[in-house]
Amino acid sequence: MNYRDPKLRDLLAGEYAMGLLPSRTRARFERLMADDAELARLVADWRERLAPIDDSAPPVTPPRRTWRAVEQGTLQRSFPATPPAGLLQSLAFWRGFAGAAAAVAAVLVLYIALGPGPARAPTVVAVLADSSGTPAFIATRGERAEEVAVAPVRPQSLEAQKSFELWAIAGGPPKPLGLVSATPGKPLLVPASAVAATGTVLAVSLEPEGGSPTGQPTGPVLFQGKVLAN
Amino acid sequence: MRGVVRRDRAAFAALYDRTAPQLFGIALRILRQREEAEDVLQEAFVAVWDRAASFDPERGSVMTWLVTVLRHRAIDRRRRRAHLEDRLGSEEDLLALTAAASDESDRGAGLAALQKCLAELEERPRRAVLLAYAYGYTHEELAKRLSTPIGTVKSWVRRSLERLKRCLDG
Repeated sequence: MNYRDPKLRDLLAGEYAMGLLPSRTRARFERLMADDAELARLVADWRERLAPIDDSAPPVTPPRRTWRAVEQGTLQRSFPATPPAGLLQSLAFWRGFAGAAAAVAAVLVLYIALGPGPARAPTVVAVLADSSGTPAFIATRGERAEEVAVAPVRPQSLEAQKSFELWAIAGGPPKPLGLVSATPGKPLLVPASAVAATGTVLAVSLEPEGGSPTGQPTGPVLFQGKVLAN
Repeated sequence: MRGVVRRDRAAFAALYDRTAPQLFGIALRILRQREEAEDVLQEAFVAVWDRAASFDPERGSVMTWLVTVLRHRAIDRRRRRAHLEDRLGSEEDLLALTAAASDESDRGAGLAALQKCLAELEERPRRAVLLAYAYGYTHEELAKRLSTPIGTVKSWVRRSLERLKRCLDG
């Protein structure tokens, strides 16, 4: 196609703005547009001409879950889907040891191992252990400092119709941070400010499916761990 | 929007609250299926967060940019449906565009001007333009829906675009 013919350029710009170009033609057109400011201008003009049709679509409020999915989707950007293998292996090793001391030692080893590492390596913020001291959940900070990812280090058993809910406890009543998955790979992302204070306790309680109906823990606290100094 | 470029999450949430209902309405019109429209809305906003820095105010309003990001995704999703029949709806509300045009807001005024120019087109080419833009029809779908050869449909759209441009810019 001759992309120099002014009339054809304008028509293609119009068809592009309409959404009528087939995928391959569209991709080629977008590449051209990237280096051709005049072509981009033609497209922008067409968009402005046609935009009133968009206004004729009756607005519909999307469900709240769509915003939550957007939030998770954008936060996800700074975290790997699962903790790096090294982290898991180290934890698997330490899992063999019972008692709180083992958990604390595991955290220290990991923390030291990861501390001065490459910038992309996640920093451990807290390890949540069960009552026997076995690490169950890990909170890590990713590339971007403002978010913390919380995920189990291995699949945790969870009864049907129940959820794990994460809480931050720093003096006052526990603050709900969201539902955390029982399987690795889908970390819950929480703002770092919620777990900023050293000594804040992160706790996971067993709640009815969907989380505590009262905004405070209603079931037993199964896992907990303190936020480490950093 | 500048807040979103600075990675300000509160600004992003405010942008979402302000624009999501209109965008969801647009996605629903193209996809006619709530779950798919929710997915597309979500993908579009994640893309907006990722690519906020590429927004160029010289090239049009924030809303126009958001609509562009959303429409491309909605149209792609629609095209991936296996059966042509699944993609064609009844679209009886094409006429509702006329009703919306009588709205006296600024946006209503823009639509009224476009509506006046659309009214100057012949009936079937006008339907082709509206089905394509508002409902995301491809040339192939337009041909099927309007029981007209695809070549004819293509030239209807092109001629309609030329006439709309003359009418709107003139």
